[in-house]
Parts: sequence; structure tokens; C-alpha cells
Amino acid sequence: MKNIRKMLYLEAKNFLTGPTVWMGVAAILLFGLYGFYYGTQLINHQEMTINSIADVQKKHLDEVVEHGHGKPAGSTAYYPFFYTSNPASPWARFAIGQRDVNPFTLKVKMLAIEGQLYDSELTNPLTLLVGNLDAAFVFVFLFPLLIIAFTYNIISDEQESGVWKMVSVSNSSIAKSILLKISIRLFAVLVTALSIFTIGIITLHLPLSYPTFQLGVGLLLYLLFWFGISILVVSLNKSSSFNATALIGIWIFLCILYPGIANIGINSKVPVPEAVQTAIDQREGYHAKWDLPKAPTMEKFYAFYPQYKKYPIPEDRYSSGWYYAMQFAGDLESANSSEILFAKLQERQSLSQVTGILNPVIGIQQLFNKVANTDLAGHVRYLNSVKHHHRNVREYFYPFIFEETLTEDLNWHSYPAYKQAGYFQENVSSNVTSFMIWTLLLVGCSVILFKRNFIHIQA
Amino acid sequence: MQPGLIRIIAKQEIKTILRERVSWILYLILVGISVVAVYTGWSYVKQFNKQQVAAKNEVTKHWMNQPERHPHRVAHYGYLVFREKSPLSFFDYGLDSYVGNSVFLEAHRQNTVNMSEAGFSNGMLRFGELSMAMVLQMLVPLFIIFIGFHTVAGLKQSGVLKILLCQRASYFDILIGKTVGLTLVAWLLFLPLILLSLLFGIGASVGELTSDIFLRSLLVLLTYAAYLFVISVFVTGISAISKSAGNALISLVLFWILFCVVIPKSAQTLGNRLFTAPDKIAFESAIEDAISKEGDSHNPDDPHFAQLKASTLRKYGVDSISQLPVNYGALVMQEGENISSGIFSTHFDQLINTYKSQNRVSSLLSLIDPYLGIRNISMNLSGTDFETFTEFQKQTEKYRFDKTKKINEIHLTQIRFKNDRDQKVSSKNWQEQADFRFQPVSVQTNLLNSLLSLGALLFWIVAGVGALKYISSKQEYQL
Repeated sequence: MKNIRKMLYLEAKNFLTGPTVWMGVAAILLFGLYGFYYGTQLINHQEMTINSIADVQKKHLDEVVEHGHGKPAGSTAYYPFFYTSNPASPWARFAIGQRDVNPFTLKVKMLAIEGQLYDSELTNPLTLLVGNLDAAFVFVFLFPLLIIAFTYNIISDEQESGVWKMVSVSNSSIAKSILLKISIRLFAVLVTALSIFTIGIITLHLPLSYPTFQLGVGLLLYLLFWFGISILVVSLNKSSSFNATALIGIWIFLCILYPGIANIGINSKVPVPEAVQTAIDQREGYHAKWDLPKAPTMEKFYAFYPQYKKYPIPEDRYSSGWYYAMQFAGDLESANSSEILFAKLQERQSLSQVTGILNPVIGIQQLFNKVANTDLAGHVRYLNSVKHHHRNVREYFYPFIFEETLTEDLNWHSYPAYKQAGYFQENVSSNVTSFMIWTLLLVGCSVILFKRNFIHIQA
Repeated sequence: MQPGLIRIIAKQEIKTILRERVSWILYLILVGISVVAVYTGWSYVKQFNKQQVAAKNEVTKHWMNQPERHPHRVAHYGYLVFREKSPLSFFDYGLDSYVGNSVFLEAHRQNTVNMSEAGFSNGMLRFGELSMAMVLQMLVPLFIIFIGFHTVAGLKQSGVLKILLCQRASYFDILIGKTVGLTLVAWLLFLPLILLSLLFGIGASVGELTSDIFLRSLLVLLTYAAYLFVISVFVTGISAISKSAGNALISLVLFWILFCVVIPKSAQTLGNRLFTAPDKIAFESAIEDAISKEGDSHNPDDPHFAQLKASTLRKYGVDSISQLPVNYGALVMQEGENISSGIFSTHFDQLINTYKSQNRVSSLLSLIDPYLGIRNISMNLSGTDFETFTEFQKQTEKYRFDKTKKINEIHLTQIRFKNDRDQKVSSKNWQEQADFRFQPVSVQTNLLNSLLSLGALLFWIVAGVGALKYISSKQEYQL
């Protein structure tokens, strides 16, 4: 017992006095802090924009109403934009995900919705290409490198310097020594990760609730997976250079090559020409109505809103009721391609879910983005909330349009308030399970290989 | 300098590398990845362009087949323009996945170019896209690291370096010989691969080799050759200052991570911090404010438009707008269009300049990171760069403005002011209008845009050789 404690002490001292360890920890800590800073900055900036919306909306609407003075509501209703926003969840500061690519505010008119959903945010495309240096990036990309740096030469270094011969006098001492070395490294990795994660919780103000727990568990298992890979390579009993090369090779494959190939694969397997088709259909569907008799267009509208049948729509001249019925018809005719588009986005999502199970690097990124609600699914939920708001706004103003109320005679501000998509609690059990299975497989193989390569059967 | 000695050392280096099985295994893996990259890149670009052309044709057909319509209806019917990928985009995707693919052009409004591939992708895209350019920029340097890390450090460890130096060989000659050997191996293995991938990609998609594509391909080949040389110098240099081959490998891999992952990301976030760009809401409300200051066509008492009215009446010598021989409504609309388009362009140029300043940070940093340099040059030459996309936005805005202007002219002359809304004009009016054709950025402009990065690459070549000279003069690096 005393012996083991002494060995542990010496081994820990040996490990901790090496310069690489502290350099690695310092570097990852620095990147972690920068990641927290960066995520906070970016999301704060978005929040600031979102907070400015209420004033922008009020000013805009007041101006429109002032201009419309004396005109019927139907004529004024063409102009106003109605703003919506997709506020970040508290975990978005940790994993920015697709929030920089997808718009987090959208404004819609009472016209056909499909042409208004895909307006992009103004961003520098090179910034998007390069990507974010957020906490998620540090943990997904850089932390595995720290693990590799800690472990690649656990035994090979001592073999190369000759110390190993002294250790390997007996099988029990070999096993004990290997176990000791591994535990110390594992302990160091976990302490570093836990410290940085805790700093993250504090600086990013992550609430101590289930989603934060999901992030923590996912992260822990992900790091164990990488530790398992490192141990497996070490158990092959090769030189330090070989170990380093092999581990970097695996890192490049899992972090760069595999996602690159999988992404192209998914995009070409599920192309989305419907995105463009929706825009075309909606435009044609609406504009063709101008040249057609008014009654059939109105019938389409009445099928959903029979209460407006009582208002006469003259066949020989323009009327506001007819105009908004045409817009509505445009949406009806693009509904099909819009539905296919959303279904295909769902298909892309499920396909990447599968690739994520096969590759924990993708898996952890998905887990982070899911928990933070910053993935494609989160954006689709936002788009649906915008569609919903668009309907509420239209339905609020329809009575005034058909009644031909004067602009100044109605309250333009009391339309139903926009209801945010809200936080969606994601289930990450499939990702977590896959991490565990991978780790168990790796550790199992390592144990067998360690036995075969290091413990010699004494005759 | 002893050219003979350099040649011998270079030859020896080439032989040693090519004799090793590991070199060939790594090379074959890279060839395999390249084949996948070129094939998927090519088929993706082909499929994408097919989709865009189909959409374009549908929109053109609808446009041509419009019945008689009121001009202002047509102005709002508008037009959809679809962005196609450049001929060399299969080689380097550049910004293509992150910029919009279609834009709706209508009167009164400058819409954003929407529907980027990234907007419809899950986060996986953010790991980077596998293209031939990515293989050459990131993986081939790693290959050079793996075949070259022990090139000098190995000689030190085995004591051969001491023997060579005792035989009156200069250390500088040895370093140059090693660099030349490493570079030649890289060129021998990868320049033909670049050439083949370009030939295949261009042959299979464009079909003909225009002088523009030829020039671009040639420049791609030359700049990548320069890049591989820089990497070889770097690997030799680090190997020469390392105590052991193992140390050299670790340092080189660390540099690789720094160059390919850490610096590019930090450079861009730094650029964004230094030059803040407005978001969409701020951008649009600034334009709105400027427009309402300049002249508000909806306001009957607006001084700008009151003046327009007065001068128009004077010009035609009449007392009221109903007596005018032209449609005054159309005149007002065109004036509004002139104002808003001018203001938009000013603001848009400012926005683009801010983005350019942000991007210049990473161009400048290519002086310390050769990867950034080749990334910028390669995008520029492949026509998947920032400039090309900006040009697309500008050209579509110009097309929108010209089209709207023509429609307003038709409105002005063919529609009477009285009962304006109830009149229509012949569909021949629309059929005569020219279709949108994107004029790509010229190679000269592209080169001009990557001047900073090209300079940085040149700097690396000169500084690299200088560094070898310096290393060779230091006693401590010979042990």
C-alpha cells in the first residue's frame, strides 16, 4: 500500500514537472477564456439588436399609420413590417452553432409569407466560413489535442530513455505502473476540463439546470472517448513518433475529413431545389391571380375564412379584400413545395444524426447545438413561429380591411403579440449512449492489447 | 555555395523518401482523398448549376409569357436571379456555401441574396468542406511534415551531420539540398495531381478550355508550387533547429494546428472586433432615415417632390399634372427609385468596405501564416472569393435598377395618368428586355485583390531561405 502511494507520488511528480503539461493546460485555458469571451460578445450583440426591435417596430408602425391618414386600412396594410425575433437560449453563448448563419430577426409584411421567410442576415461570408472560436469549438476540437499531448508517450518515452526496463521487472509491477500512469493522466484531463467547464458556467451565467447537466455529461463522455482512443494507440506498444502520428491522423480524420465527406454526402443525397421552387411558386401563384377572374381566388380564401363572404368583391375593379386573398392564394400554391422543403431539412437532420452516432466528434457538436437550441431544428422552430405570427397579424387586420375602416380609426398596435418559439428541451440520449458504447469498445480493446503487448507470460 | 553538393544531397533526400513505404502509403491515402474530393466537388457543382439553370429557365419562361399587364404590376412581379458556381469552384469551394444563391429583384426594394447552402445545413458544414483545395492547403503540408520532420534532425541524431560538416560541406548547402529534395518530392507527387484534377474537373464540366480558365489554372498550379516550397523550407528549418526528430515532429504538428486552425479563426474574430459591421436592422433603418431626409414620395408636401412637380409643369408649360403628356405617377416613382438606389449603393459600399477591412486582417496575417495566404489566393483564382460575390450583388442591383427604370419609362409614356390602374400594355414590352448575365471578375482584378497574400507568399520564400541561412550560421543548431 505504502509502495503504491509512493509510486503514485513519483509518477505524478514526474508527469507534472514536464513542461508540455503546463504549456498545454495554459494554452487550453487561454483558448477556453477567449471562447467564453467571444461567445458572450457575439450573443450579447445579437441580444442588443433584438432588444432594439420594440422601438424600431413602434416607430415604423407610427410612420406608416401617419402616412396612411385618410386612406382605408387595406391600402395602409401593404406597408408595415412586423418584426419577430429568435432570442438566444442561455447555452447559446457556449455553443453558437448556426446562430451566426441563420437570421435571428425576421420582419414580415401581411403579404404572402413564403417569399419572406428566407431573408438572410447581413454577415461577412468569410467570417462564416472561418467559423466561431466559441467554447464548443475549444472542447470539440482543441481538447482532444490536449489529451493526445498528455498521453501519446506515456510508456514509449520511458522505453526510449531506458527507464522502462527497470519498471518492467515483473508482470504485476507492469500492470500497476501502466494503470497508475493512465489514471494520473485521466485525472489531469478531467480536472482541467472540469475547471474550464466550471469557469464557463460562471462567466457565461449558465443556469444550474438540466441542460447544463446535459452539456457536462456529454462533454465528460466525449473526453473519455478521446482518452480511450489515446490509450488504444498507446497499447499498440509503438514508438512515440508513431503514436503521435497515428493520433494526429485519427484527429484529422474524425474532425476534418469525416465531417467534410459526410456533409457533401448528405447535401447531394438530399438536395433542396424546393427552396427556390417555393419562391417561384409563391410568386407565380400570387401574380397570376391578377389576370384571372376574382371569384375563384375568393373561393380559395373563403374556404379558410368564410366569415368574409358577406363583403362584396366587385369583379370589374380593384379591392383590398381581393388583394389579400390573392396573397393568401400565393401561399396556398407554394404550400406544397414549402412542406417538402421542411421535410427535406428534417431528413438532413436525421441523416446527420446517424453520422453523429458513428463519429462522436460530430455527435458532441450536435449535442451542444441541440442543448443550446442553435441547430437547424432550432431555426426551423423559429421559422414556424414566424409563420404563426404572420397568420395572427393577418387575421387581426382582415376585418378592418374588409370593412374598409379608415387607417386612423383602428388601433394598429394591438395586434396579437409575437410568441417566441421558446426553449425546446432536447433529448440527447442517443448521442450519450453512442459515446458510452464507443468508449467501452476502445477501453476493452486496449485492455486486451495491453495484456498481449506488455504483460509477458513467464515460462 | 556548392551546386554539386546541393544536387547530391537533394538526390539522396528524394531517394530516401521515395524508398520508404510510409511515404507511399500516405501518398496513396492523399490520392484517394483527392479523387473523392474532386469527384464530389465536380458532381456537386454540376448538380447545383443544373438546378440553378432549371430555375432560371422557369423564371424566364414565366417572364416571357406574361399577358398584357400594367407596368407597375410587372415592376412588382419582379424577377428572380440565380447565382451559378464558377467553373473552378469544384476545386476550391471558397465562400460558395456561405453566400446566398438567389435574389428577388423588384421595384422599390433591394432584397438580400438568400438561400445559402449553410442556411439549410446542419452544423456539420462548419467542420470544413472537403475539396481539392483543402487537401492541398491542409493535408499536403501535413504529408510534407511526416516525410520531412527527421530530414536534418535525423542526421544530427545519427551523427551523420557531424561527418558531413567535417568533410567541408557547408551547413547552408546541406539545408538547401534538403529543402530542394523535399520540395521536388512534393512537386513530383502533387503538381501532376493538381493538373489532373483541374483537367478532369474542367473537361467534365465546362467542356472547353477558355484562355481565362487556362490562365487561372496555370496560376493555381504556380501558387501551389510556391506554397509547397514554403512548407518544405519551413519543415527543413524546424527540423534543423530541433534537438531530436521527435521534437521536430511535435513542433511541426503544433505549428500546423496553429497555422491551419487557430490563427485563421483568431484573425477573423480579431478583424470583426476591430471593424464593427452593422446588422441588418441597423443597416436598413439607416437607409430608411437617409431616404426620408432626401425626399419622401408618399408625402404630398415633401419639398423635393414639390420641386419635381413644379419643374415638370414648367418644362411642359402646363398648369396641372393631368394636362401633362406623360404619366406623372411614373415620374415620381422613378425619382423615388433614383433616390433610394443611390442611397442604398452608398450604404452598401460602406458595408462592403467594412467587410473588406475585416478580411484585410487575415490577409495581413498571412505574413505570419502561409496557409492564410494560399487560402485567399486560391479562392480568388477559383472565383469563389468575396470579390466575386460582392460583384454578383452589385450587378444584380444594377440590373434591378435598369429593369425598373425601363418599366417606369413604359409606364411614363404608354399609360395615361387618368384611370392609371385600369390600363395595360402589350407583353412585347417585357419580352424585349435583356436577361441577366453575370460578368465574372477578371483574373487581373482577382490577382490585384490577392496582392497582399501574393506578397506574403513571396515574403515567406525569401524569409524562409534567409532563415535557413541564419540557422546554418549558428553553432548550436549543428549539434
